[in-house]
Amino acid sequence: MSSISELYDVSWEEMRDKLRKWREENYRNSEQIVDVGEELINEHASKLGDDIWIIYEQVMIAALDCSRDDLAWSCLQELKRQFPDSHRVKRLAGMRLEALERYEDANKLYDSILQDDPTNTAARKRKISILRAQGKSSEAIRELNEYLEHGLSDELTTTTLSCSYAKAAFCLEELMMTNPHNHLYCEQYAEVKYTQGGLENLELARKYFAQALKLNNRNMRALFGLYMSASHIAASPKVSAKVKKDNVKYAAWATSQISRAYQMAGRGKKENKCSVKAVEEMLESMQITMS
Amino acid sequence: MHEDDSGVTKKRTLQLPSMSVPLSSHEMGEVELSCLAYAKMYLHASQFPRCSVNGLLLSSSAAGGAVCITDCVPLLHTHLSLAPITQLALTQVDVWCSQTQQRIVGYYQANACASDSSPTPCALKIAEKIFEQCNNAVLLMIDGEKMFPGCRVPPIVMYERKDARWALKDKHTIMLRQWEETCSIVNQLFSSGDQALLVDFDSHLDDITKDWTNQKLNAKIMELVSPANGNV
Repeated sequence: MSSISELYDVSWEEMRDKLRKWREENYRNSEQIVDVGEELINEHASKLGDDIWIIYEQVMIAALDCSRDDLAWSCLQELKRQFPDSHRVKRLAGMRLEALERYEDANKLYDSILQDDPTNTAARKRKISILRAQGKSSEAIRELNEYLEHGLSDELTTTTLSCSYAKAAFCLEELMMTNPHNHLYCEQYAEVKYTQGGLENLELARKYFAQALKLNNRNMRALFGLYMSASHIAASPKVSAKVKKDNVKYAAWATSQISRAYQMAGRGKKENKCSVKAVEEMLESMQITMS
Repeated sequence: MHEDDSGVTKKRTLQLPSMSVPLSSHEMGEVELSCLAYAKMYLHASQFPRCSVNGLLLSSSAAGGAVCITDCVPLLHTHLSLAPITQLALTQVDVWCSQTQQRIVGYYQANACASDSSPTPCALKIAEKIFEQCNNAVLLMIDGEKMFPGCRVPPIVMYERKDARWALKDKHTIMLRQWEETCSIVNQLFSSGDQALLVDFDSHLDDITKDWTNQKLNAKIMELVSPANGNV
């Protein structure tokens, strides 16, 4: 089997640069990383200088994705030898144990990191994803709730959503209280309420979509959400004439904002013609559905 | 999906071509998956390896007979189970399909947890909605565990509607023409960096100048599909 450098006629420098590009741009093309990285490590390790450590890390993670435990193990050994007390390397060892589904062992490793450094969010995140993988959603939520202040809110929303909409709404309410200027929480909360359905939730949804827009008038999800919730409310047979009239106004406002945003986006771009036209027609067709 | 408490399910109003051809008089449940559709699904799942992703499967051929999945639209990589954006995306894709003579014939999803490729409640709900408009709709789950190089089997599991539930489809009724060529095309997309061109609906909402119909990427893929093979 010929080598990568022979097959593609690339030098080791080009291979090293490709790896760096993939690292910086967060590509997860693991098979390629393994192919290129393994050859680089085996044939050109001495030329790589200090780059080699980050390459070991990158290749190790890719190797786990490709079930190449042999390669992952050898990379890990090199890293352990060079950085014997590193938390970062310990976390990598934990990831390997997770890939082998040795969750208890992985947790022990993460716990030892957290004993040394309780603010280590990376270790916490891995513990939580183990609980999620094991289907232990409520325990995952409990872990997360303790560390709300440590910036794990995305994990929180994802985990609680896998549990129940009501729990997700509850978590988001807390997040909105402590982060009143964060438009994303408002918008996500509105989405949860919309999904839960029913007139009361729709009205809450509309209010929070509007709030999200006040905080960031470019949030397209909030704009569409406002349009949809207002339209649904206006179409409901249960609302008073005044409520209907108000919501028709909100929906109309949202429509004009959406059209304007797409017009600006589509300026001078031929390929967006589909999207702009589609949006116009979509808004029209939604109006028919809602009325 | 959203149902208001008056008990009326909101249906999309667009008229789709008549589906009244009975299935029994044609090849029972054969499904063809084009290179273009497969490549974009694969790219979508690879772009967000730690997230659940989903999308819609489209067909540009007439109804009746085998289902030919000729294209797909990647939809979301965040919070798949939330209704508003899903509804929005479905409506927008519907409109685009009617403009481009395509139909929505199915739904695909890749779970964040690669070892579990079973359909989630959200997947079943959306597939149901599609089935309402297309009586041989398919539900396709991407099997994360089979997404490794050199795997000889396409990493997909398909379901079809049988006896009021979604049943596993017989692998022999799923056709992926020129599998080797398809794999090589996917690899070429990765090595040229073109896999980064893929835009899903979520990304479009983050930046509406991005094209969720992926015209640019489609053109690149069709360039790679060898002309001798006609429609792959």
